[in-house]
Amino acid sequence: MSSENDTKRRAFEDDPRITAYALDELEGAERAEVEALLDEEPAAREFVAELREFSGVLSGALEAEYASGDAPLLSPAARAAIHSRADASGAVGASRPWWRRGRLIAASLVGLAGFGLAGTWWAQTQVADGFLVARLETAAPAARPMEQVPMRKSLTLSSPDGSIEYDLPALVQMEHADKALAPGEEVDLEEVEVSLVTNDPELRLRFMERARGLVDQTAGEPVLGDREVRMLDEYADELGVEFHLQPRSSGEGYDTILENDFLGVQRNPISTFSVDVDTAGYSNVRRFLRDGTLPPADAVRIEELVNYFPYDYALPKGEHPFAVDVEVGAAPWAPRHRLLRIGLRSSPLGTADRKPSNLVFLLDVSGSMDQPDKLPLVKQSLRMLVEEMDARDRVSIVVYAGAAGVVLEPTAGDYDLAILAALERLDAGGSTNGGEGIQRAYALARENFLEEGNNRVVLATDGDFNVGLTGEGELEDLIASEASSGVFLTVLGFGTGNLQDNRMEALADKGNGHYAYIDSLNEARKVLVGEVGASLETVAKDVKIQLEFNPDRVLAYRLIGYENRLLAAQDFADDTKDAGEIGAGHRVTALYEIVPAGESLAVPGWSAEFAAQQARTSSEGNAAVTPLSGLGELRLRYKQPQGTESRLLTQPLDDSLASFAELSDDTRFAAAVAGYGMLLRGSKYAGTARWRDVIDWAAGALGGDPGGYRTEFHGLAIEAQRLSAQRAERVKDR
Amino acid sequence: MNTREAATDLPPGETGGDWIHEALALYERPLLFYAARFCHDRERARDVVQETFLRLCRQRREAVEERLREWLFTVCRNCALDVARKEGRVNALTEEQERRRGSEPDSATRDVDVRDSVDHVLERMKALPDNQREALQLKFQHGLSYKEIARVTETSIGTVSWLIHAGLASLRERMVRSGQLGTGREARGLEA
Repeated sequence: MSSENDTKRRAFEDDPRITAYALDELEGAERAEVEALLDEEPAAREFVAELREFSGVLSGALEAEYASGDAPLLSPAARAAIHSRADASGAVGASRPWWRRGRLIAASLVGLAGFGLAGTWWAQTQVADGFLVARLETAAPAARPMEQVPMRKSLTLSSPDGSIEYDLPALVQMEHADKALAPGEEVDLEEVEVSLVTNDPELRLRFMERARGLVDQTAGEPVLGDREVRMLDEYADELGVEFHLQPRSSGEGYDTILENDFLGVQRNPISTFSVDVDTAGYSNVRRFLRDGTLPPADAVRIEELVNYFPYDYALPKGEHPFAVDVEVGAAPWAPRHRLLRIGLRSSPLGTADRKPSNLVFLLDVSGSMDQPDKLPLVKQSLRMLVEEMDARDRVSIVVYAGAAGVVLEPTAGDYDLAILAALERLDAGGSTNGGEGIQRAYALARENFLEEGNNRVVLATDGDFNVGLTGEGELEDLIASEASSGVFLTVLGFGTGNLQDNRMEALADKGNGHYAYIDSLNEARKVLVGEVGASLETVAKDVKIQLEFNPDRVLAYRLIGYENRLLAAQDFADDTKDAGEIGAGHRVTALYEIVPAGESLAVPGWSAEFAAQQARTSSEGNAAVTPLSGLGELRLRYKQPQGTESRLLTQPLDDSLASFAELSDDTRFAAAVAGYGMLLRGSKYAGTARWRDVIDWAAGALGGDPGGYRTEFHGLAIEAQRLSAQRAERVKDR
Repeated sequence: MNTREAATDLPPGETGGDWIHEALALYERPLLFYAARFCHDRERARDVVQETFLRLCRQRREAVEERLREWLFTVCRNCALDVARKEGRVNALTEEQERRRGSEPDSATRDVDVRDSVDHVLERMKALPDNQREALQLKFQHGLSYKEIARVTETSIGTVSWLIHAGLASLRERMVRSGQLGTGREARGLEA
């Protein structure tokens, strides 16, 4: 398609949005953007006119073909069969929808345990337990099995009068499995997505009822318009809940995140979660801001933002591969609350100590990768990584783009030229079929398995996983079983508009690796080169953190982020339960907001009834086996990279009387990043934090700023402030 | 797990099957066109389209009516793929080989001196990779929107946008190059 030897192509000629605009396929913000571009460049406008003219020619030709075509019609017998079947089915009962056919408001849904679903079934549009669900249909029987979507908890919805029950897994599956959805379902609004952040089913129900009422009142097509949105905004204020409104992002997939609430220590003295060192969330959010838009709330995984930065925690000294560093001080957005910052740091490996690596690059070279921020960036990134490798390492390259191909047989890491030449030759084109490629990649990895080494498949893609031969569940199983036999998976995301963020994270998770989003050469350098030990070398796996709080000192706590890493208390000691990995040189940070005993709990979502429950159970509370002192106890379990039994570390958690200003740079900076995350999500827990504050906290905690990342963050916070103000203006003007 | 609320709300005198007869009248030909390109075989195409409508008979009207066209194209496509797979005629590898062949620059294009612009376009389209051609067809021959095409072909809107963009650009370029299409740009000559 693009040939550099002819005329010099002007940028807009290679922009698919221009084509989409010419064909009247763009709407809303995108359309406005393109129009602005056209205003600036008359040549682009001419080009649009040419495109339209050409598409007219094309339509004309195709229509002429159709009109004159001699496609044989169905045989009379076939037609008769259809007609008689149609008449026979005429008596199928029609169900009364509870809601006039309208558009779905995407409610924040609780995540669920994954399982697959196939066959014929349907659901009605209704409001149940506060979840607004659209009519969902499949072809009968299902043309293909429903693809599985990783989910977390389960819930059964019943209609207000109890006459109909739905398993939420099925509904959520339809909601998120964008590729497996069959026609007939209604999932998204034309202009906006509305999501509500609350755990309280009562509030959700009332909000959704109001939303339904508003939509019903509109004449003609039921759409949530500006006026309705403003009314919903007011209503949400009345209820004391936060709701988001954002333009629908096309083509990208994010799991809904339901923020962690405050939990009372009487009923929930123990908090357990798996560590996470993915950083994709940060670079992905950065990409949105740089493109001039605020990110969708679900793309903001706070723990990934906080974990993006190198903190200067103490290095490990003893028998364990990492050290624990804890600090407590006042929470800047809620001065009567405490902020508990937990840090882990593993020792960086010197290059001499680095274990040899057996890497198989599995690269998406489908047509959609043919953009400057995709395949070319992949090549440059991998080039940088390869330059860090030496004779002990093995590198191979497998591509997937319809056919699986081995582009480079396993080659020693110091044969730079051979490897780089193979990378150079890669070209994008064709459609995607990830299944075969992955199998080939794992086979190569196993064939060249290094016993004491780091064996890994590194997948680089923009999100196309058309795994024609394998369903997503099978893919995950493959990845998980390979991981358990020592071949891990790292996922690198590139590009925009197609990013299957949730899926990539899930796959990296299953593969005992991590997921990073590469939006620039700098990021590539940071992830692949700077952290090459960390990216590739696991020093501890299945790392789990558990805190038990002392009810005498703590009333309630909230884990900031890690929503999709939560574990049940009993999972902590259960070695069959997987958790995250820590690589060499990694740092992991987790933040808790703590409400000290004696404080009254004035946090949103904490209704009077719940508080009463807390008081009631205080006398029968779960007593810790050994009485806790201070704030409580921190426990950590991990396994050695090839080990099967976990080892335990414990450490008491003491409070200090430190004010926010007295905390270390690292903690204050982490707090700024958490604040940034909460504001971007529109979190109701952001307390008194405003953008101005986040910017100030960051500015005051730049410290030595190795790598310049904190300064960059400061700039991003300013940008986010500007974009938020803009959006607030727009809403007001409606 | 799911319970149905059974109620028959049909007004007397109307058979529930009328809408299917109408659908058949409207979509028989377009689907046959679409399926024929997929199956490369007319008989199979007819089977596929018949199966599509038989499945339609099993649907509840309100369930499908609003998105009828999209539903029909999706199911038709799925059936065609199922048939092809069952017969082992196409596996992922051969599909890709066909595509590769299709995307090689001029090997598939005959250099016949065709005058008629309709034929020009159709000729050039044959040289496009399958997925680009399918997207262009669905858009320009069957009038589906990007969103519908994405659902029918089970890809994302971004991919569809790219496919159509690339397909159009490819067609235009070839036709400009072979002088079959004059453009303002060409008139201005090579431009910086």
